[in-house]
Amino acid sequence: MKKTITLGKGLSYLLMITFTLLTIIPLTWMILSAFKPHALIVRHPLSPPMSWYIENFTLAWTQGHLGIYFINSTIYSLVATFFTVLFAMSSGYALSKFHYKSSRFVSLLYTLGLLITVHSVIVPLFIMETKLGLSNTRLGVILPYIAFGLPFQVFLATTYIKGIPDAMQESAIIDGADFIQIFLRIIIPVATPIISTMFIYTFLGNWNEFILVLTLTSDLTVRSLPVGINSFAGGMSRDYGLQFAALVIGTVPMIIFYLIFKDKIAQGFAAGALKE
Amino acid sequence: MTFLQQKRMSYYLLLAPGLLLFASIIIFPVAYSLSLSFTSFGGYGKPAFIGLENYVKILGDEVFLHSLRNNLLIVAVSVFGQIPLGFLLAFLLHRKMVRNGNFYQTMIFLPITISPVVVALLWNQIFSSSGMVVAIIRNLTDQPQYVMKIFENRQMAIYPILFVLLWMHTGTYMIIFFANLQKMTPSLLEAAQIDGASESQMLGRIILPGMVGTIATTAIFAISGSLKAFDLIYSMTGGGPAHFTEVIAIYMYINTFKYYKYGFGSAASMIIVLLAVGLILILQYISRKFERRFE
Repeated sequence: MKKTITLGKGLSYLLMITFTLLTIIPLTWMILSAFKPHALIVRHPLSPPMSWYIENFTLAWTQGHLGIYFINSTIYSLVATFFTVLFAMSSGYALSKFHYKSSRFVSLLYTLGLLITVHSVIVPLFIMETKLGLSNTRLGVILPYIAFGLPFQVFLATTYIKGIPDAMQESAIIDGADFIQIFLRIIIPVATPIISTMFIYTFLGNWNEFILVLTLTSDLTVRSLPVGINSFAGGMSRDYGLQFAALVIGTVPMIIFYLIFKDKIAQGFAAGALKE
Repeated sequence: MTFLQQKRMSYYLLLAPGLLLFASIIIFPVAYSLSLSFTSFGGYGKPAFIGLENYVKILGDEVFLHSLRNNLLIVAVSVFGQIPLGFLLAFLLHRKMVRNGNFYQTMIFLPITISPVVVALLWNQIFSSSGMVVAIIRNLTDQPQYVMKIFENRQMAIYPILFVLLWMHTGTYMIIFFANLQKMTPSLLEAAQIDGASESQMLGRIILPGMVGTIATTAIFAISGSLKAFDLIYSMTGGGPAHFTEVIAIYMYINTFKYYKYGFGSAASMIIVLLAVGLILILQYISRKFERRFE
C-alpha cells in the first residue's frame, strides 16, 4: 500500500515536471537566442549569449514596423473587446430578465453562432468589405472582431445575469427607474466579476487573432502584431536574431498579462464547459 | 408611453446593437457563402450557377481528402492525447498529489496566452536544422554532422505540428477539468474514502462517471478546434511540403485567396460547417447514451 502511494507520487511529479519543463525550456531558449547575433544562433544553438546583443530588438522593431503593429493590436483589442462586452451584457440582460417569447429564438441563434468559425464566412466577408470600402480600414477589422466575440460572451452574460435576483430590478422599477437605468446602475455594477472575466478572455482572443487581419487588410498601417510577426518567417529576413527578437516582443507582454490575470483567463475557458 | 410599451422598447434597444452586428457579419455571410458555393464565382462578373459541381470536385480531390485526414489526426491527438492528459493533470492537482500545485498549473496553462503565430515560429526554430532539437541530438549522440529536415519530409511533417498542438492545448483541458472537479461535491469522495476506497477506485467509480458530460463537452471543443486549426499550420508549414500538412481551412484559404476560386472556396467552408455540426450531433448522441448508462 505504502509503495503504490510513493510510486504514484513519483509518477505525478514526473508528469508535472515534464510538462513544466516543456513550457520553460522553449521560452527560455527563445529569450536567450534573441540576444545572440544570427551567426552565433546558427553555429551554437545551445550556448548562452556571449554579450547582450540588443541590436536584434532595435532592428526588428524598426525594420519589422512592430511599433505601428503594436499600436494597431492595442486599438483592435481594446475597442473591439469593449463593445463586445457592452453588447453582450445588454443582450444578456434583455435575454434573461424580460421573458419575451423571442428571447428563446435569439438565444438559439447565438448558440448556433458558437459553431460558425471565422473560416466559414471569410470569403463573403472579404467580398462585402471590398464592396463597402471597409477592407484595409481599422473599422473593417473591429466590426468582425466584435461580432465573433458575441456568441460566447452573450452566453456568459446571460447565464450570470439570470442568477441576479429579480427583486433588485422590481424595487428599482417601483422607485421609478427605467430599464436602461437598471442596466447601467444595477446590472453592470453587480456583474463586475463576470465582466472582468469576459473582458480579459475576449481581449486575449482579439490580441492573438490572425486570419481576419491577414485577409481583410494588406496595408502595413492597419495590420496587427501577429501578422507582422508572421512576416519575419518568410522572405523578409533570414536573420534568426531578428526573428527571435520579434517573437520575444510578441510574447513577453502576454506572459505578463497572463501572470496577472491567470485566474480570470482560466475562468473564461472553464465557464464554457461547466456543468450546472 | 405605458410601462409595457417602455419595457418592449428597452428590450429591443438592448438587443439591437449586438444582434445587428451578429446578423450582418455572421448570419448573412453564412447564407451568402452557401449560395456562392453553388456558383463558379471568381471575384468579378455575375456568379454562374453550376449546382453541386464544386462539392463533387472537392470530394474527389486528393488534396482535400488528405486535408480531411489531417483534421481527423488532429481530433485524434485531442481525444487520445490532450483530453486524457489534461484530465490526468487536473486529477493529480485536485487530489493534491504534488506540492506547489499552483505553480505547475500556472506553467502548464501558460502556452494558451501565446499567439499561435509566435508558437509556430518558435517551434519551427526548435525543429529547424540549426535548432534546439538537432543540437541536443548532436551533443547526445556525438554525431556533429547529424541533420534533421523533418519539415521537408512529406510523411513526417505533420508530426511536429501534432506535437505542438498537444503542447498548446493540454493545459486548456486541464483547466476545464480542474474547474469541474472542484464543483463536485466533496462529501461523496469523503464517504468513499472512509469506506476504504483507493484513489483508483474513486477515480473509476465516482469521478469519471461524474465527468461524462464534461468529457463530451471537451470533445466538442476538440472537434471544432481541429476544424479551426489554421493559424498554427499556416505559419509553421503553410500546408507544405506539397500540400501534405494542409487542413480543410488551409485548403479553403489557398483555393480562395491564391487561385481566386471564391465559389469553390465557399463550398469548402460549407463542408467545414457541415462537418462540425455533424460530428457534434453524433457526439451528443453518444454522450447521452453514456450518461444514461451511469444514471
